[in-house]
Amino acid sequence: MNIINRLAILCATLSIVAPAVAFDFGALQSQVQQHQQELQQAQRKIEEEQQRIRLQQQQLHQEPTQLIQQLPVSPAAIGVIKDVAGPTQTEEIALGRQIAGNLLGAAALVNDAPLQRYVNKVGRWVANQSERPDLPWHFGVIDSTDLNAFAMPGGYIFVTKGLYKLLQNESELAGVLGHEIGHVIRKHHLKILQQSKLLAAGSQTLTQQVGNNEAVQKVIGSGAEIMSRALDKGAEFEADSISVVLVTRAGYDAYGLPSVLQLIDHSANDENAVALLFKTHPLPEERLDKLSQSMGERFDRIQGETLAQRFYRLK
Amino acid sequence: MFKLKISLTVLCYLLISGALASEFGVALKVDDIRAQPFGDAKSLGKLTLNEKVTILNRQGGWLQIKRTKNTGWVRMLSIRSGNVAKKSNPANGLLSLASGRAGTGKIVATTGIRGLSEEELRSATFNLQQLTLVESYGVSATQAQQFASEAPLRARQFDYLPVPK
Repeated sequence: MNIINRLAILCATLSIVAPAVAFDFGALQSQVQQHQQELQQAQRKIEEEQQRIRLQQQQLHQEPTQLIQQLPVSPAAIGVIKDVAGPTQTEEIALGRQIAGNLLGAAALVNDAPLQRYVNKVGRWVANQSERPDLPWHFGVIDSTDLNAFAMPGGYIFVTKGLYKLLQNESELAGVLGHEIGHVIRKHHLKILQQSKLLAAGSQTLTQQVGNNEAVQKVIGSGAEIMSRALDKGAEFEADSISVVLVTRAGYDAYGLPSVLQLIDHSANDENAVALLFKTHPLPEERLDKLSQSMGERFDRIQGETLAQRFYRLK
Repeated sequence: MFKLKISLTVLCYLLISGALASEFGVALKVDDIRAQPFGDAKSLGKLTLNEKVTILNRQGGWLQIKRTKNTGWVRMLSIRSGNVAKKSNPANGLLSLASGRAGTGKIVATTGIRGLSEEELRSATFNLQQLTLVESYGVSATQAQQFASEAPLRARQFDYLPVPK
């Protein structure tokens, strides 16, 4: 009795629901068509908006010198704008190039073309792993017994022969270059120049890429003096942390830079060869401690190459 | 013959252990000593601050160390390697530089007089010939990729690290 009752209720329910569903389909179809039309309209609007944004972006990316011709804005105002927005990449490279030329005036390249090419290949491979792979990266070993390395804006990087001779394998070289690449990609020295307010003053002539650019020289001060100024400690720790990440991305052993720091740590504080390095950087022990904190357990299961065999050794 | 083999083995062992025994390290922090070079391997105890240990081996970021109680693995950055006391006598600069390093025992010293002082940097003058030369050594991203694949080095993803507090 119970079962028959339930069946009867079920049949009755089905007979009511069925036509209702059929009716709903018709209404739904017209609703879907309406929504489709609305969607198409919205898509057209989005495309129009995207086109408008693209045009705006193109205008924004034009060099300020071009803007001067288009807009009634005074060069002084452009200087103020640049002070806030920072120099363009072209200017950044022009600045770095001038500092590099000066540094090479103080210490020339080691006369060993295969060495210089090797260092460029290692450096470029590490730089490829950064967010600025398109900079015209240049690397060199300079003839100095000091233990030091230098990074200039725009991607000019130099390692002293003294430091190079301490290195045991390619991953250590990659680690040292990775630290300097870190300074370049985070524009650490460029920020110093910006702080000094010199950049805005000379900004209009920075784009000329000629030999010895006097306007650029005005911005960077005397010779390669900017390279003897200390960055804040935070910038050095940041560059260390970037180094271990970039070399890991490049397939190397992550501990190239920490190994070099351990080695430098053995050298006395007042040793001549490390005088400038220790003046401009936190002590290796402090850097190792910071690295240890930020690396934590993240590298425990990461294997990488040290490449001692391929390493180009200096006689 | 058998005896000779054994004595040779013993001799080798003595030679190796003798060579490695010269590599010491000092614990920079109280850190776990692990049975294997992994963060989640069994803990065999803890280093005590400034504890002197013997470095036997290195693998990635880990050092195999020997101490009075046992042998195990610790994080490389928890150990300062080397035998010579730091910042001793200024005249010891080059000597302490030659004190060796974790896992290599390599002795390196620099000689010569050519430094790069602040004054030299300040008075440096532009050298276009050298700048052109260094620019001529530049390689493209593709050339670097080719160089990497010869090793072989393979690019992989790895996130930037958070800033420690």
